[in-house]
Amino acid sequence: MNAPILETRRLTVRFGGLVALDGVDVAVGPGETLGVIGPNGSGKTTFFNALTGLYTPAAGEIVFGGRRVTGLEAHAIARLGIARTFQASRLCLALSVFDNILIGMHARRTTGLADSVVRRWRFRREMGAALERAAHLLALFNRELPGRGFEPVGQLPQIDRRRVEICRALAAGPTLLLLDEPSAGMNPEETAELMRDLQIVRAEMPGLSVIIIEHDMFVIEGVSGRVVAFNYGRKIAEGSFAAVAAHEEVRQAYLGTERARA
Amino acid sequence: MIAVWLSELVVFALFVAGILAERPAALAATGGALIAAAALLRFVPSLRTALAAGFARHRAAALAGGAVLALALPLALRASPYWTFVATLALLYVTIGQGLNLQIGTAGVINLAGAAFAGLGGYSVGLLTLSAGWPAWLALLVAPWIAVSVGAVLFVPILKTRGHYLALVTIAFGFIFNILMNNLEFTGGPQGLKNIPTLRLVGWAFTSKPALAGVELPAHANFYYAALLVAGLTTWALRRLHDSWLGLALNTLRDDEIAARCCGVSLTRGKLLAFSIGNLCIGLGGALYAVMVGFVSPPDFDFGYSLVMLSVVIIGGVDSIPGVVLGACLLLPLPERFRFLHEYRLLLYGAVIVVMLLYRPRGLWPAAVRRYR
Repeated sequence: MNAPILETRRLTVRFGGLVALDGVDVAVGPGETLGVIGPNGSGKTTFFNALTGLYTPAAGEIVFGGRRVTGLEAHAIARLGIARTFQASRLCLALSVFDNILIGMHARRTTGLADSVVRRWRFRREMGAALERAAHLLALFNRELPGRGFEPVGQLPQIDRRRVEICRALAAGPTLLLLDEPSAGMNPEETAELMRDLQIVRAEMPGLSVIIIEHDMFVIEGVSGRVVAFNYGRKIAEGSFAAVAAHEEVRQAYLGTERARA
Repeated sequence: MIAVWLSELVVFALFVAGILAERPAALAATGGALIAAAALLRFVPSLRTALAAGFARHRAAALAGGAVLALALPLALRASPYWTFVATLALLYVTIGQGLNLQIGTAGVINLAGAAFAGLGGYSVGLLTLSAGWPAWLALLVAPWIAVSVGAVLFVPILKTRGHYLALVTIAFGFIFNILMNNLEFTGGPQGLKNIPTLRLVGWAFTSKPALAGVELPAHANFYYAALLVAGLTTWALRRLHDSWLGLALNTLRDDEIAARCCGVSLTRGKLLAFSIGNLCIGLGGALYAVMVGFVSPPDFDFGYSLVMLSVVIIGGVDSIPGVVLGACLLLPLPERFRFLHEYRLLLYGAVIVVMLLYRPRGLWPAAVRRYR
């Protein structure tokens, strides 16, 4: 593996007496897709929340792009190039489809308040380009979506909302994309479409590193090169999908021990 | 284009008639015309869509027509200094409402101390002119920034609280302001500050009677035009801010703070900007009010007026810039028409808010999708 784009060292998150994340070491290389699996409550989403600055780690550190980002605020980390989606959709349903994607480009704006009010032409030029980019991103997944850009996002079906959320993350031009269980609540057909969408992202941005949390092993096997498994806040296995799936501790975490089943 | 102007003229005529009609027959005729116009729009959808398309196509002409009518309003009201004063008050509430709407509607920072921030502007003008001896125009320029500065101090508890708790913090601030004004020596206590000097610009005193097209107008018309200019500029600037990166970021912070932060939006910067720009407008409205009436006292800025300001935003349309204009222009003159209800004015506002929240929660003129034009 090349020099990793993201590396966590002994990353630990505590909530009072509960250790939600316990000394986790994970590294992701440029252009790599890393799958994260583990039973409910094993610390996968906590891991994402720590990476994006929503939780402050109790110990350990996060190095992103060669820079220590531990303890930075969420918006500062996002601006460095980590974008994410959420397990339960976090779109602003009352705002338009375009608005929901444009917010991803907010951090990269070059026009300020004065440009918005008095030198409006500067703002219009920048916003025109931003709207075009939003339409381009939408069209990657569904040709009809750009035409619905000025509709409230709440009027779109679930699968398209998930796409808008991915577009929002991509709009920021990130170097690392975190996908938190994108297939949550989807039926098998929708999941197949999602797989296709993820391949589009891969093809469009080959240099982008991705970490994906999934319960659907079909998705994990299809999109990730390497897999790590979590249980009780610890990393219990790492390697190819086949190796991790065969790992004794992983099997126990998902299926229980022999004695428990007996 | 003619149809656009014609319909604006009809609205204007109904508005003026609604204000000035005194005799029962005239009142009944105005009421009938209002109901007929509303019914026409309600039950003839083709007329409605045609008008909407006309206004959309001739935006500039519609705005120009509205401006001409707004400029002409003092002519129509010239017989009544009182109604000129009420119209001016409505314009001040447009300015205040735009500021409050940026805070409450766009950013979701509930501010139930609008009157206190207006009072900060008003009292600052009073103190700067009476105690410091500044000319009124300079005090008018500086006073809103005092409201902003005090707001910035209050910002620490505001940032740490959400929803109901935030509302309580601002209510508490409003009461603290009122109690302080009532008890502090240098603000004049319950008597307030009297004889605030009037505005004087290039030798023109705002107490002298202006003339428009050879017709003499009441002295309050001076302030009407000043308030019209300020309300127009504020509305123009805030519409552009709303349809920009700032408005987008504030809407996202309002709807989903975590998503916004993970997109690189700074919570502190966004809310501080919204709160400060809002207080600037509210303080400016209060400052102009103080110069206009020449007198400020604690009851002018009590909690009831915070509620009036809030109703302007809610009834007009939360997060809607044209809604605020509509809300202020309806809500300020309306209770004056119902004089016999005067003691129950707050009750009227309360009832109107409850009905609106139940049946038209997005307001009379709901916020439109941002088009970034």
